[in-house]
Amino acid sequence: MKFVNLIVADWSRVDQFDVIAPRRFREGLTFERCTRTRLRIDVKAHVRRKCPHVLRLSHVIWFHHAITAIVTSSRIYYNFTRMFRPISRLVAFSCRFAAARTFSSASTFENILVDVRGENSNVGVIQLNRPKALNALCDPLMHEVNQALDRFENDDAIAAVVITGNEKAFAAGADIKEMLPLEYKDVVRGNFLAHWDRVTRVTKPVIAAVNGFALGGGCEFAMMCDIIYAGENAQFGQPEIRLGTIPGAGGTQRLIRAVGKSKAMEQILSGDSMPASEALQSGLVSKVLPVAQVVDEAVKLGEKIGKLSPLAIAAAKEAVNISYEVSLKEGLHFEKRLFHGSFATNDRREGMKAFIEKRKASFTNS
Amino acid sequence: MHEVNQALDRFENDDAIAAVVITGNEKAFAAGADIKEMLPLEYKDVVRGNFLAHWDRVTRVTKPVIAAVNGFALGGGCEFAMMCDIIYAGENAQFGQPEIRLGTIPGAGGTQRLIRAVGKSKAMEQILSGDSMPASEALQSGLVSKVLPVAQVVDEAVKLGEKIGKLSPLAIAAAKEAVNISYEVSLKEGLHFEKRLFHGSFATNDRREGMKAFIEKRKASFTNS
Repeated sequence: MKFVNLIVADWSRVDQFDVIAPRRFREGLTFERCTRTRLRIDVKAHVRRKCPHVLRLSHVIWFHHAITAIVTSSRIYYNFTRMFRPISRLVAFSCRFAAARTFSSASTFENILVDVRGENSNVGVIQLNRPKALNALCDPLMHEVNQALDRFENDDAIAAVVITGNEKAFAAGADIKEMLPLEYKDVVRGNFLAHWDRVTRVTKPVIAAVNGFALGGGCEFAMMCDIIYAGENAQFGQPEIRLGTIPGAGGTQRLIRAVGKSKAMEQILSGDSMPASEALQSGLVSKVLPVAQVVDEAVKLGEKIGKLSPLAIAAAKEAVNISYEVSLKEGLHFEKRLFHGSFATNDRREGMKAFIEKRKASFTNS
Repeated sequence: MHEVNQALDRFENDDAIAAVVITGNEKAFAAGADIKEMLPLEYKDVVRGNFLAHWDRVTRVTKPVIAAVNGFALGGGCEFAMMCDIIYAGENAQFGQPEIRLGTIPGAGGTQRLIRAVGKSKAMEQILSGDSMPASEALQSGLVSKVLPVAQVVDEAVKLGEKIGKLSPLAIAAAKEAVNISYEVSLKEGLHFEKRLFHGSFATNDRREGMKAFIEKRKASFTNS
């Protein structure tokens, strides 16, 4: 019998909850009994329960793994690999009754693995998982990545996202078998690649942990992220030219902004790639690390960022990104208005106060 | 910052001054903006007072400004250094934007200028984590021009100012303006602007003197005309 954890900060506020589970499960079971508290959970109907263990600050209830979500009056906790994660009911209210349909596919991604890591479980990790194809990016994979990103974006418990592949390849390109039969009319009418840049609209920091091949679409995907940590075996390149085409997901725009014209032209026009050391030296990546450490260090960076004010983080990220869009003068204007705006937050006051009082700040995302 | 601006005004208007060096002491260039000053401010205060508005006077100086940075250049200090034209760093220099740790963001150009200097990955890493980078990394990533022993930084910056001072102030000001416009307009319009300034230099005596001296294999003597 497999179980998943639900941690609720204050069970005394939860006096009633629904359980969402697949129909066949519901019909076969009248109740589950939490193995720790012996709390009886009636799967079929509303249950009025006051947890007797209200004195504990956080309480772990174990539910059967087939239960897809727990719905309380203020939150919906959905089953998300080993643990129920909360999202605000305001956000999820409209999907409550669609929850079974949406969440029932929660853990069944085919092309990616999704995980939550970190001491405070606040770093979402998306691992591209098509090892036989060296993680070649295809439409279904990108759709799944986008779903995972949506979920992390809406989950207040997640502070940062790490995207990685495996030790051999981050992503060795787009799926050429998928692209071969397409004609001009197909890619234009299908707006091919249009949704591949969802990651650029995430308001939380996204760190690419790149080992092995990051070529073509893989390199472009990494460059869409905010920060790149590379393993010593990483290779970055845009070999599309060798297929008689050009980078289509930002390679021609982002590479030159990172490494300058001469290097960018050389790579894009020849299809050659550069090793991690050259990527570091030319400004494409922030760090080069031993292969086995890259993902851990990326998660650590996510945790470090997770200790700061999410409001300020999102504003800082937006300001930095606008520098690619407007003139310096307008970028400075935009930055100043965001900076002014930060004075309206409690986090700004708390951060400055803590600095003056020489203590650790405790941010509240308000 | 008001006093810095007054000094800059003075140097700007003094024809005897060819270049400006801005420095701190060996321990710190500037370790940030004054947080005690900022703590009590509310949104209405910073908006109505247009907080930080005059802090960028140094970007409007027509003469070259060289930042000689030893020690901490953090937050506003890093932003101030990046407003200058050239940065010479001492071996103990630290550059960073730790505003995020105070629950706010860089407000004097850090988010705009750092990425233009060191690229997105490094800039995002620093601005989002608040970590700083040492002089060697600043050099390697393009933020500073040179890293020197701490005791030599100011002298070398002054020497650079003197070297520039031997050249035509008209040409220097035009060159600086052209380079700076590259951050504001497209390449095409930047080239257009540069070309018009280039054409304009042909209306100066300094251009004629400089080219003549080169052909005659002698030292040019510019007259700022």
